[in-house]
Amino acid sequence: MALLFSMALLLLPHIFKLDGKPHADWQQFLGRFHPLIIHLPIGFILLVPLLEVGGRWKPSLRESASLVLALGFISSLGAMTLGYLLAYGSGDSGAGVTRHMWGGIALTIGVLLCLLVRPLWASGAVPRLYPVLLGCVLLVLSWAAHQGGSLTHGSNYLTESMPPLLKRWTGLGSSPAKAPISGSFYAQHINPIFDSDCVVCHGENKVKGGLRLDSYEYLMEGGKDGKVIAAGAPDKSLLLIRVTLPKDHKQFMPSEGKPPLKPEQIEWIRAWVQQGASSTATSLSGITINEHKDVPLPPVGDYSALMPEIAAMGSGTGAKLVQVSNKASDGLILRTVDVGKNFGDAQLAQFAKFAPYIVEVELARTGVTDAGFDTLSKFTHLRVLHLEDTAVTGNSLTKLIPLSQLTYLNLSGTKVTKAALAPLEAIKGLHSIYLYDTPAQHAPIADTAPPTERKTL
Amino acid sequence: MKQHPLCTDTEQDLDVRTLPIPEELKQEWAALQTRRHFLGRAGKVMGWAAMASLTGDHALTSVAHATTTSSQPKVITPEQFKLPNFAPKAKRAIYLFMSGGPPQMDMLDYKPKLAAMYNQDMPDSVRGAQQLTGMSSGQARFPIAPSHWAFKQHGKSGTWVSDLLPYTSKMIDQLTIIKTTNTDAINHEPAIMLMNTGNMNSGKPCMGAWLSYGLGSMNNNLPTFMVLQSKLNPIENNQPVSSRLWSSGFLSSEYAGVGLRSAGDPVLFLSDPAGVNRDVRRKMLDAVHQINQQTYAELGDPETNSRISQYEMAYRMQTSVPELTDLSKEPKSTWDLYGSEAKVPGTFAYNCLMARRMAERGVRFTQVYKRGWDVHGNVPKLLPILCQETDRACYALITDLQQRGLLDDTLVIWAGEFGRTVYSQGGLSETDYGRDHHPRCFTTWMAGGGVKPGISYGETDDYSYNVVKDPVPVRDFNATVLHCLGIDHNKLTFQSQGLDQKLTGTTPAYVVQGLLA
Repeated sequence: MALLFSMALLLLPHIFKLDGKPHADWQQFLGRFHPLIIHLPIGFILLVPLLEVGGRWKPSLRESASLVLALGFISSLGAMTLGYLLAYGSGDSGAGVTRHMWGGIALTIGVLLCLLVRPLWASGAVPRLYPVLLGCVLLVLSWAAHQGGSLTHGSNYLTESMPPLLKRWTGLGSSPAKAPISGSFYAQHINPIFDSDCVVCHGENKVKGGLRLDSYEYLMEGGKDGKVIAAGAPDKSLLLIRVTLPKDHKQFMPSEGKPPLKPEQIEWIRAWVQQGASSTATSLSGITINEHKDVPLPPVGDYSALMPEIAAMGSGTGAKLVQVSNKASDGLILRTVDVGKNFGDAQLAQFAKFAPYIVEVELARTGVTDAGFDTLSKFTHLRVLHLEDTAVTGNSLTKLIPLSQLTYLNLSGTKVTKAALAPLEAIKGLHSIYLYDTPAQHAPIADTAPPTERKTL
Repeated sequence: MKQHPLCTDTEQDLDVRTLPIPEELKQEWAALQTRRHFLGRAGKVMGWAAMASLTGDHALTSVAHATTTSSQPKVITPEQFKLPNFAPKAKRAIYLFMSGGPPQMDMLDYKPKLAAMYNQDMPDSVRGAQQLTGMSSGQARFPIAPSHWAFKQHGKSGTWVSDLLPYTSKMIDQLTIIKTTNTDAINHEPAIMLMNTGNMNSGKPCMGAWLSYGLGSMNNNLPTFMVLQSKLNPIENNQPVSSRLWSSGFLSSEYAGVGLRSAGDPVLFLSDPAGVNRDVRRKMLDAVHQINQQTYAELGDPETNSRISQYEMAYRMQTSVPELTDLSKEPKSTWDLYGSEAKVPGTFAYNCLMARRMAERGVRFTQVYKRGWDVHGNVPKLLPILCQETDRACYALITDLQQRGLLDDTLVIWAGEFGRTVYSQGGLSETDYGRDHHPRCFTTWMAGGGVKPGISYGETDDYSYNVVKDPVPVRDFNATVLHCLGIDHNKLTFQSQGLDQKLTGTTPAYVVQGLLA
């Protein structure tokens, strides 16, 4: 009888194959109670060894153990049935789902066997079998439950927040960032979209609708409804159709209230499909993704020791140092707008100790003169320099040459001449020089400059 | 009320300001004190008193004493917000607000197929379920009114621009044109509130207030956020704008916009009266300051601090504003660029020049309002006037900022609160048509720090009625502006009414990546 039952359980997955197709809605409806009910058998089964062990001192506990075991069996059977309905009804398949399923079946059979051998153990006829079997059941339970948890929370759920030290000891959770397959547009921009938003349901562990999006080959293979990408025809590509449906549409993807893809991501996918859905193309016409935005500027050093001084300046009425952003390594801006003409070379010299941390200097309409360049030449991380309407003549511009990071120089309203600018050619990255209302304005150095994007006005 | 036998009311008020709680909480409490709160709290005082007696006289008062000494008024500075969230492309912004709703298909949204459809009824399928305003809902038909003006391609980008905008045509490669801006409101007040504050209802802070709150000031002598009104042209249909649009809402009032008047003294009562010199003024302010400090110590209302800082700002503005508005040192090239009307205070051209001068002087956010775009009738006559008043000035501002090297870190925004309909409101003739409000698409542009120049973003249908590709709802528009200024719009928040309020509201908003440089 028990044997027949076990056989039936083992055959179940072969009769109703998890074929990746969704089936009746009622199956899904009931199935979705699986994650709720599942905790009942877990509780019962865990209680059994406690009762058995506790019974050594308090024999009355053992009397209830067989009842609890029976309850454990009935509830496992129920939870397993719901679980199967969930997988079958919603069209889940994949390695994780299959493992969890076999775990559940093995557990149910294990509990049944425990139930059968327990009377033999209680009577003393077979002393060893029951404890061993119960131990095995507990191991199977832990494994199956872990598989289930990985399905709902992701396989790195437990290790994600593990302290680094623990990670190193256990060798877990150190999943190295997937190396980009190549520099292709697919690898850099398309695959990451699927990785972050889709593979939870369309990946190795869960394969809803038979569709996997975790590699180029799987993506092009498509799912149960056929191909999802029609190269060159975005409007015929099922994937694009499904992600651009109205958000409340039953077939909208990502489903179940997961955040929709961002408009620009859809744009990228569309352009990528339009232009052949290639796995190797490195760029797409009409799509420019600003990589340089993410290329961090060289960070400035640690100036935390100087913070008290910087903070004190902030509340004063004089020149100030302000952070470019909340990231200290983005550097500081020297702001003098409140001081005006009273900010001269001497005042500037006082900022020499902050020199390596300052990336932008606003000296417009200050009293700074050519002598100030001695201080400025120490600002090794300087990128932007404002000198509008100051008395600088340009004779000392050569002192800026060591500032290799300088990209912007504003000399509007000064007496700078064209000749004085020539040495600045040495600063390769200096692409914006503003010369409005200067003697140099009408003799732009662009004539002599190499055809870079240097703009002079 | 009969006193409970256990209550030994010592008539000692329990004071939130003396409780051992963080200063921010106290400030929030003080800010929320209204009559309703007061009455509600009055009922609870009994309970508090009873508890105090139960825990013993000591328990509450001893901790209270420990904190009273350190309750200095605390000013929240940008450093505490950790803003900007990332290195910004633009440090400041200038927002040219075209109040009334400019007609996009007569200016930048070129619709060549309309000409052949003159006086045909707009298909119902195009209109769909769009609500109409009360002004055209009674119309028997909706005849298509093609633009009265020819369009030509300009710039390297080959962008189509109406002949009404000769100057804009010249700088078209500098602009980031958004053809698919869209709003939820169809009437002026809710639409202009939505555009400015992210919410149709009043009471929310506007973009400028959020920026001053989040980024703080760049200078000591001028306000962080300034508002310039342009003089009204009486023949135009001038919808009212109100200080709600530059209000700080639930933020402290020191973040509200400071307006410069379009005629007379830029700031009223800023000059010292006859017989009062600056020293006397200073002494008076110091005395008022002391009294205000006492008031703050008594009531703990943060608005007292705002008032103190506003007095101080006004004092500094006594010298900084005359310097700001003194155009005598502007070179001739300025007047060549902006035109001589920029010499007349209150004109849009003058305001654009002022916006550039404020940018130089460290004003974080300047908003220039130009009213009159509400062209319900007689577009062929009114629109040339409106364009003539604004076209050259916009060009002058962008060009001026650029030649002075300021456009690199200034974001200029040009927008109204909605667009206008392709069908004529009222009668349609070869020489006359009107256009009603239209929320589903309207054209805006940006230029400068952070945005990609020389592009047109989004597509509308042949009627400039529906968005076909890449819609930019107001919240995304605002999220993008904040992004250019180094702010993650989801992180610039303020707790009010139980919600982490933000400029972009509760509907998820996205930075429009396609607009970014």
